[in-house]
Amino acid sequence: MRIGVYICRASAETGGGANLESVGHYAANLPQVEVVRSLGLLPRLDPEALADEIVASDLDRIVIAGDSPGFFKPAFTRAMALALRAPEEVRLASFREHGVSGDGATERAKAITACAVFGVPFTLAARPKDTKWTAAALVIGGGIAGIQAALEIADGGKKVYLVERTGTIGGHMAMFDKTFPTLDCAACILTPKMVAVGQHEMIDLLSYSEVESISGVPGSYRATVLRHARRVDEDACVACGICSDVCPVRVPSEFDAGIAERKAVYIPFPQAVPNAYLVDEASCTYVQTNGQKCGACAKKCPKECIDLDARGDVLQLEVGSVIVATGYEVLDASSLDRYGYGVHPNVLTALEFERLTNASGPTGGHIVTKSLKHNKRKKVDEWVFDPEGASPKSVAIIHCVGSRDTNHNAYCSRVCCMYSLKFAHLVKEKLPDAACYEFYIDMRAFGKGYEAFFERIQDEGTFIVRGRSATVTERDGQMMVKGEDILSDSVVEFPVDMVLLAVGLVPADRSDELARMLGIPRDDYGWFTEADYNGDPTGTERGGVFVAGVCQGPKDIPDTVAQASAVAARALEGAMTGRGLQSLASLSLSDIEARAKSLVPAS
Amino acid sequence: MAIRANPKLIEELEPYGAEDVMKCYHCGNCSAVCPFSADPYVFPRKPMRYLQMGLEEKLEGQLDPWLCYYCGECSDQCPRDAEPGETMMSLRRWLTSRYDWTGISRLFYRSWRWELLAILLVAVITAVAFTLFGMSQGSLSDYDGPNAFLPSSAIHIFDWVLAAVLLAFLLSNAARMWWFTMGRDKDLPKSPGSYISSAWMLPAHFLTQMRYSQCEHKGPWVTHLALMLSYCVMLVLIMFFLAEMASGPSVDWRVHVLGYLATAGLVVSSILFLRNRMKKSAAQYRHSHESDWIFLSLILAVALTGILQHILHRTGLDAAANVTYIVHLALVVPMLALEVPFSKWSHLAYRPLAIYLAQVRATALARARRGDGKQQPSAEQAAPLRTA
Repeated sequence: MRIGVYICRASAETGGGANLESVGHYAANLPQVEVVRSLGLLPRLDPEALADEIVASDLDRIVIAGDSPGFFKPAFTRAMALALRAPEEVRLASFREHGVSGDGATERAKAITACAVFGVPFTLAARPKDTKWTAAALVIGGGIAGIQAALEIADGGKKVYLVERTGTIGGHMAMFDKTFPTLDCAACILTPKMVAVGQHEMIDLLSYSEVESISGVPGSYRATVLRHARRVDEDACVACGICSDVCPVRVPSEFDAGIAERKAVYIPFPQAVPNAYLVDEASCTYVQTNGQKCGACAKKCPKECIDLDARGDVLQLEVGSVIVATGYEVLDASSLDRYGYGVHPNVLTALEFERLTNASGPTGGHIVTKSLKHNKRKKVDEWVFDPEGASPKSVAIIHCVGSRDTNHNAYCSRVCCMYSLKFAHLVKEKLPDAACYEFYIDMRAFGKGYEAFFERIQDEGTFIVRGRSATVTERDGQMMVKGEDILSDSVVEFPVDMVLLAVGLVPADRSDELARMLGIPRDDYGWFTEADYNGDPTGTERGGVFVAGVCQGPKDIPDTVAQASAVAARALEGAMTGRGLQSLASLSLSDIEARAKSLVPAS
Repeated sequence: MAIRANPKLIEELEPYGAEDVMKCYHCGNCSAVCPFSADPYVFPRKPMRYLQMGLEEKLEGQLDPWLCYYCGECSDQCPRDAEPGETMMSLRRWLTSRYDWTGISRLFYRSWRWELLAILLVAVITAVAFTLFGMSQGSLSDYDGPNAFLPSSAIHIFDWVLAAVLLAFLLSNAARMWWFTMGRDKDLPKSPGSYISSAWMLPAHFLTQMRYSQCEHKGPWVTHLALMLSYCVMLVLIMFFLAEMASGPSVDWRVHVLGYLATAGLVVSSILFLRNRMKKSAAQYRHSHESDWIFLSLILAVALTGILQHILHRTGLDAAANVTYIVHLALVVPMLALEVPFSKWSHLAYRPLAIYLAQVRATALARARRGDGKQQPSAEQAAPLRTA
């Protein structure tokens, strides 16, 4: 067999840092390789010219190497057919798809190219050796992904440590009012799962804790978990709330996305798991003054379970698998000054609106505009939500805030179109007379039942404007939203009382630290990189470390839950058999080459 | 009527400076942030779409590119780095080459080498011709008087002949512009009245560039206005008062003062523009086409040689003044003969004309929409060019 290797570049960054020239030299020395050609950036391939080349060099197999080489495949397949060769002998060496990036990028690219030259699937040849596996699993992050994964592993009978940074599990989903497209109440789906986690005998829930370091090899990791001082005895606390009543401190509530306040000793929300109060050391007067002042909560606690002098604790865990489910944060809307977030009081982010419209939120679910109230303690006038406030007569919802935008997030955050449509529904449901405008670029209603949901929102009378709104301004005390209505070729401007910004998703704070700790790569935007885009979307470069949910890339709740279940299966695989695969990185180029050679079908 | 698309149009626009048009995904952000974009002239997104689709004829009929002053707001806020502002700029270059029936403009915009070569050629011919002319009838050591090397009376005649030729080119191109944008549009309601009622806009916009002044940043407008007014003052002085300018110590003080002001204006504003383009200080200066550099350098060179000539003449170095005069003329003639009808400078005619025609068109459309050509349109409909 005579083989030709074509190195194609679909973008200037092709190869993720691999030295393509070195890959070319390596390929030229592989058996049966007759021709190695490196094509320029985005070559315009002419099948007839390629066919002439194939005939001239008498090639029987073509290997296209590069990022997403399938992009170039049609031209080569056609060329092979024109040259009267077997068109199926066009093989792909997919660099990006098989994790070529960072250190060892060149070696990996060589290995992938070698497998394609031998005609052996990379995933088959690059199968690491197996090793013994500790049954217990560590789940980092207690959102819906972490909860689902933990529950499924625990239901499989294996031990799970669920580490959650905040005082409760639940994550962002606990904040939501409804889910799309079914309009189920989010809490009704989530809270039973949260309770199940709290009660499961196979789950050790470590809330208010952080993973400090991880060492070891796949199958036997040693994790150091820092348990922050909760200062309230988790088991003794009955969540009576007396401590919170007497606490004089008021700070913005994280759970209410900052539109309401909480105390320094607080429970994030009534259904929190564990259902116990905690002391926020950053705002607690007693902690901040080293015990000089306050301490009222500890004195009043009827169960005497508050110890304001408590110290944190460090825990050592032995686990086989690590599941990363750290989720996301929303983009800081104040970084886009044209929408006036932080300037106009009634410009809200998506999470703020979720809390506003939620029956457990500060207004009891009434959609109202902010009212100017005098804050006696701070002696200033503040815009706050008051359940008695005025309802907006018109609401604009702006899609793609910071998304698909080279100045912010170049990617699509995938959930915003649908949650924006959900917002339109909630506005129309609660305020049937209010006008509701949606400004969108492209409507990405891609999931099961999503298109029908979009149609339903249109039928409900929401004005859907194709065109990203450009500016939110205020004229004579009236907010104005301006944008181009592309479908009518005109610039439109609507007076509105409330603007909802469909902010995109960004990786969770400190995921860079976690990536370094675990030795797993992140993509250009900071999402954790999966081992194989198509074939292994839950695994990572590091054996025994898996990713689930939005931390791997923006996705909606159904996809997150599905991926979390998949990850649980991966972790159970090792836990059940006591054996599992080592890291891909444990294989050297010659290992992969040798195995690929051994797998070549005898002709 | 079916619209013919030219799939190669986008490639054809590349030499004119449009490079990132295909990145546009039509979010409409640019049209909404543009202070000038208002019904019925919504841009820059729509022209970008025409360009992506290759709708050549539709683009030819667009006045929109001339209504844009490239404040750069659209490019700064573009989520795709598609550079809508630069696309509008390159469309202006492309339209200029379309209006020009000789094809010279197309040649210049597509190849700076040709433009430079043509300038060089005209410069050499001018220099040789004036040198021969001077030697045939005067003395190199005499700047004025009966034996003057280049007597102002002769130069005056030459100026007027040159002006007539240029005007012929420019006007015929402007007529083509009218035909592309108004004349051949069968859907446009006929409204001769609006040509008259809007006629004031032509001189008003030419002289004040008041539309430019509506941009958020006033700096570029001031510099641009200074350059244009200086040029006009200089033109008037040269066309009507050339004899007074060269007649030695007895120069009329008004000519003197105006001449100095205009010269200062030309030097300062062309240096400012060159500096901005070099520093790429704002979106509109980030991308410079070769024609921009040639144009600005030429103006500066003309002004500087003019100053030198003036100084030499005033200090009594007549022979040196005459040599400088030849160099000055060798720069002025290509600048006028090539830049005004065929290159960047032609926008001095096209832009006010476009604003005027846009108003005529908008008024005609507004009248037709109301189904009544007689009544006065309401303020809203008659003034669609105001800032939104």
